[in-house]
Amino acid sequence: MFIVNKGNKSDLGIMKEPGSRSKAGGRKVEKFKNLPFVKKVGFSRIVLTAVLILMYAIFCITIDGFAGKAHLMGTLNYVYFLGFLSLGVTFVIATGGIDFSIGPVMFCCALVSGYCFLNYGMPMGASLLLCIAVGLMFGLFNGYLVAYWSVPPFIVSMASMNIAKGAAAIFTKSMSVSWPLESADGGWFRKLATFNGFPTGLVIFLVAALICGFILNNTRIGRYILCLGSNKEAVRLSGIDVKKWEMAAYVICGVLVGIAAIFFVGVYTTVQPNYGDQYNNEAIAGCVMGGTSMAGGLASIGGTVIGVFIISLLQEGILAYKLGKDVQLIITGIIVIVAVYADVVARRRKN
Amino acid sequence: MGEEILRMEKIDKSFPGVHALDHVDFDLKRGEVHALMGENGAGKSTLMKVLTGIYQKDSGKITYQGREVNYHSTREAQADGIVIVHQELNMVGDLTVAQNIFIGREFMHGPTIDDKKMITESRKLFERLKIDIDPSARMKDLTVGKQQMCEIAKAISHECKVIVFDEPSAALTEKEIDDLFAIIRDLRKQDLGIIYISHRMDEIKVITDRVTVMRDGTYVGTLITKDCSKEDIIKMMVGRVIYEQPKEKSLVPDDAPVVLKVENLNAGRMVQDVSFELHKGEILGFSGLMGAGRTETARAIFGADPKQSGKIYINGTEVDIKSPQDAVKHGIGYLSEDRKRYGIVVQKTIIENSTLACLEEYMSGISINKSKEKKATEKVIDELNIKTPSSDQPVVNLSGGNQQKVVIAKWLVKNCDILIFDEPTRGIDVGAKNEIYKLMNSLAAQGKSIIMISSEMTEILRMSDRIVIMCEGRVTGEIKIEDATQEMIMNKATRNIK
Repeated sequence: MFIVNKGNKSDLGIMKEPGSRSKAGGRKVEKFKNLPFVKKVGFSRIVLTAVLILMYAIFCITIDGFAGKAHLMGTLNYVYFLGFLSLGVTFVIATGGIDFSIGPVMFCCALVSGYCFLNYGMPMGASLLLCIAVGLMFGLFNGYLVAYWSVPPFIVSMASMNIAKGAAAIFTKSMSVSWPLESADGGWFRKLATFNGFPTGLVIFLVAALICGFILNNTRIGRYILCLGSNKEAVRLSGIDVKKWEMAAYVICGVLVGIAAIFFVGVYTTVQPNYGDQYNNEAIAGCVMGGTSMAGGLASIGGTVIGVFIISLLQEGILAYKLGKDVQLIITGIIVIVAVYADVVARRRKN
Repeated sequence: MGEEILRMEKIDKSFPGVHALDHVDFDLKRGEVHALMGENGAGKSTLMKVLTGIYQKDSGKITYQGREVNYHSTREAQADGIVIVHQELNMVGDLTVAQNIFIGREFMHGPTIDDKKMITESRKLFERLKIDIDPSARMKDLTVGKQQMCEIAKAISHECKVIVFDEPSAALTEKEIDDLFAIIRDLRKQDLGIIYISHRMDEIKVITDRVTVMRDGTYVGTLITKDCSKEDIIKMMVGRVIYEQPKEKSLVPDDAPVVLKVENLNAGRMVQDVSFELHKGEILGFSGLMGAGRTETARAIFGADPKQSGKIYINGTEVDIKSPQDAVKHGIGYLSEDRKRYGIVVQKTIIENSTLACLEEYMSGISINKSKEKKATEKVIDELNIKTPSSDQPVVNLSGGNQQKVVIAKWLVKNCDILIFDEPTRGIDVGAKNEIYKLMNSLAAQGKSIIMISSEMTEILRMSDRIVIMCEGRVTGEIKIEDATQEMIMNKATRNIK
């Protein structure tokens, strides 16, 4: 909700916030929201960070030995690939679209390029590039169908999810692919994730997030993506090639999914055909939790980064509780619903 | 004509900021066709919505068949025998004709729907109306005219006593209109009261018994159709006192070059063979009634909708405009009548909206030069007097008039030479309105050329240097401001071209 920060000008053609319901406690919150630091960083991001710290504290207190380095690294390992998926899908959701193919496409990338490395003697460097290229191809495919053929993104990405699974299974003859260990030939790529115990992946991810933030907020692609996500027809009538820029969002997403695949195998080594769906939900959860609106037009890379940390920490915590993957599926499912519902409520209040 | 069936007295209705109906009187007799006429926004539809329970009146009295009534929904009005045949058809295309007619009150055969009975009943209805439609045909396979007949049949199946036709002929062919009139005459013979809303003067003369004219939410008068002339009706429709002085003479020099020339433009049903010229520094008013095809013409020129044929010249060279992109490249800016849908990106800031059409001019390498952007935006905020605490306010926080100015700002930052303003002052307050008029005049004085589409007669007369009048997709007249009168414009705007 909008707050006028310069009181002396608040009477100038501005619609005031309708009937503020806030009582004494609410007023304190409003005051906090108006602090310069809070305004700069964003209130919801501060709340999210607090949630993250609180979660970590709870896990450390309730689980024996969670405070150690091992669980921290476990969380970070998850952050690497999930972060890239979430960054990618943030661009797509910013256009008002959705991509349910990111998880399976990530697996497809890892399977196809890993298979080429193992069976066709492709050098590791080329395999990594191929990995990104496969992601790019799916991005082009999804983007073209959504932007130029006007097929609903939901349908396109559902279909390409199945295409990714099927294509990968045929390519690898339904076999799983294990990427080389660090000591083996071509194993150097693992240093991208961890180098002598140092989380290089984290550095790369944060740099990637900074670049994504730059693209979204400081380049034409980002500006157009956000504007067309908010009102596509108005942008078209401003003489902008909306189709091109809408497709660009899916292409960016595709490339980031390809990179996610590298970090996935860099940590977890083995990929199997026919998997990957569960990461869709987690990536989307990280993104919407961070404040990106499913209706399009509003996106926050910073929010997505914090969201990714929360989801990753959550899965590590659930593992430590020995609750298993199934419980995690339920929890991320609930998170997506709650986060999207919060967005719906926020928008309804604005109107 | 028989006894009175309906009387509406001193009906008053206000919406926030608009006095839509100001103590309006209206009466209807059995066996009469009573036309309701007036310009756009005169209050015809509002009056009918009050009658059929869509709106609740603020005060006044409705007497129907001798008793006072006050409906709260169309359903109640329908049950009482008052039905409305809308201009837009409310039909489900995939259902059959019979299913559409009896939708919501299907005949049942135990738990299943008795389609057979619905078909026989529909056939009976059609026989009564002497129309030839197969009740088991799918609605979407019928022509618009036939669909309209079904809508009428549906209305009659409600055992109604009063039928309101809201511009029924707008989408019909000549033959279909004849059929429609035959039905209306038949209904008149059956002693129904019929209210007929139309802009087509010729039809009014042919089919109606009396004419009631409304203007700006007030009742002007009622005439017996056969005793009055077309000119009498027009005089009543436009006979308002004009507070703002109309422009006395064109401010455009006679030798001003033609910047935009449109030749035989065709785009769908609403744009047929449209030709006109726009001179440098001119404000060209586009007048006409609702559905005259003015917005459609603007959108076709701007490339927002596809066109079938026609040539467009800018500064004497033919240009091929296939999309808004091409139009903007050629220096055309379009301010839509619906700014929320087509004009602004509400969640984004004034800066982001202002530079949207020419962001490429605000780049330093791959990154947007935000300080340059801000400077340019603050300059137009000053120029246009946009009231906002800062340039990075989301547009959603601005008032309607200021939002409109942001759309104008977008085209000024882009520095367009040809501006199409489609209903530029719709829904904004008087103060902002005057500012926009002033701005348009100063833009024209700077040598920009403006096409102004407006449904407000006073606005057309006050702003235009020349006026093009459209009716049903065609240009029906072009008048210099020196010669223009309200009567003349309305005459051309209601001309029924066949």
